[in-house]
Amino acid sequence: MNRRHFLASSSAFLAAQSLPFPVSASSAWRTYETVTRVEIQWPKGVSRAWIPLPLVEDNEWHKTIGNSWSGNAARLQPMGDGKYGLSLLYAEWRDERTNPVVEVTSRFSTRDRTVDLSKPGGTAELSAPDREFYTAPTELIPTDGIVRKTALQATKSARTDVDKARALYEWVVDNTFRNPKTRGCGWGDIKQMLETGNLGGKCGDLNALFVGLARSIGVPARDTYGLRVARSAHGYASLGVGSPNVTRAQHCRAEFFARGYGWVPVDPADVRKVVLEEPPGNLPMRHEKVDAARKRLFGNWEMNWLAYNRGHDVKLPHSSGPKLPYLMYVNAETGGEMLDQLDPDAVQYTISAREVAPV
Amino acid sequence: MACSAWAVGELKPWTAGAAPALSLQDLGGAMHSLERHRGKVLLVNFWATWCEPCRAEMPSMERLRKSLEGRPFEVLAVNLAEPRSRIEKFLDQMPLGFPILLDRDGSTAKAWRARILPASFLVGRDGRIRYVAYGELDWAAAPARDRVVDLLSEGLRAGRD
Repeated sequence: MNRRHFLASSSAFLAAQSLPFPVSASSAWRTYETVTRVEIQWPKGVSRAWIPLPLVEDNEWHKTIGNSWSGNAARLQPMGDGKYGLSLLYAEWRDERTNPVVEVTSRFSTRDRTVDLSKPGGTAELSAPDREFYTAPTELIPTDGIVRKTALQATKSARTDVDKARALYEWVVDNTFRNPKTRGCGWGDIKQMLETGNLGGKCGDLNALFVGLARSIGVPARDTYGLRVARSAHGYASLGVGSPNVTRAQHCRAEFFARGYGWVPVDPADVRKVVLEEPPGNLPMRHEKVDAARKRLFGNWEMNWLAYNRGHDVKLPHSSGPKLPYLMYVNAETGGEMLDQLDPDAVQYTISAREVAPV
Repeated sequence: MACSAWAVGELKPWTAGAAPALSLQDLGGAMHSLERHRGKVLLVNFWATWCEPCRAEMPSMERLRKSLEGRPFEVLAVNLAEPRSRIEKFLDQMPLGFPILLDRDGSTAKAWRARILPASFLVGRDGRIRYVAYGELDWAAAPARDRVVDLLSEGLRAGRD
């Protein structure tokens, strides 16, 4: 581990104390529709598909209106995992003479989410079982060894949950980088990242790193896996999508729980995305757009994004494949072989998104 | 992974307790509730114009309604959170003879666990939900029609007619 990784935090920490965007907590709801179409063109024997559905719970920033599906499957069955509240549609075809097709339409509403940490907190508290759940390790997010050691070093001078989370957020922003060569969103093997010192990746890696570091020192944290569905309204080309085709727009985010404030949204991975991809690209860390994003993405989520679930170590029902670190993509298999979920052409699916008029 | 208790497109006995509240206006402004329709068999169907299987099954619901005219049977089609103009445009293309109820904020659909569309509930003449189906059904044919007729007959056996 390079010692300099621990040095680049104090000035950024101080700079991140204020919010530059006076986002109202009561922003308007916006309604979206996504259509996911899966077609397997060379079926062999039994074919199956697993399609993530929108977040089951309704809350202050997300409401699922409904899901509908059609297709030529012999079996179409919504399923939940019972642990993380994950919801998916399972489709199964038994006749290889017909190309398997399924189309899922989902409608949901979102509104921007903000937690103003500059104001005194209230009485929000997490139950003991939930605290245990959200500080527990997962198969790829351990909370001991190098993860805990790294977290303790990064939060040496922090006392409160908010201060600790902010220190870890700044540490991830300062010490990681978005790697454009990472396939998909990255699988989040945070132990390997820390052990090798290769702190590059995408949201599945960088936000998982934040979650793992936080959990390791007793700050409840969780990833939420989802999909970008619209442009950013804040002038960031890299933080939204520019077309209705969102087939490759998967994105995950993170939260931590702070006593008195509840779940606080963060997204250090998107700060690194701004650095790499915000035009003209490869921005310096001191660039005003990076600085503004860095301040904004601690305590705020712009909700041009659909939340699917918070699942880890997902075993797809009826699948012969291994557990998935998370379910954020359409998965499919045919003839007993899993297709590459990171290649929408191999799995043969498309996802479109559009905003629809509210009621 | 926990499997849902039902597969799509199949009527299953309802085991989730008392019917949730339903108190909604239709397009004409009339109020509907389970209490107001007590004594009838009801097909409470949650739908949306953007839902292809919802659109596909509606003609069969209309055929069912017509085939049972004169009997204590009613279809209540609850639209999920769509503007009136969109519903009316849809009905211009597909005239239907049953009330379209407006669940503008989706709270009724949520209470009835109708997040998968179409979601259909057969309510007996005593106001209890008897069957649920998620997905498209042919309501004018067996076995769906048979379930409705059975529920109508329950009322006869109890001497309610």
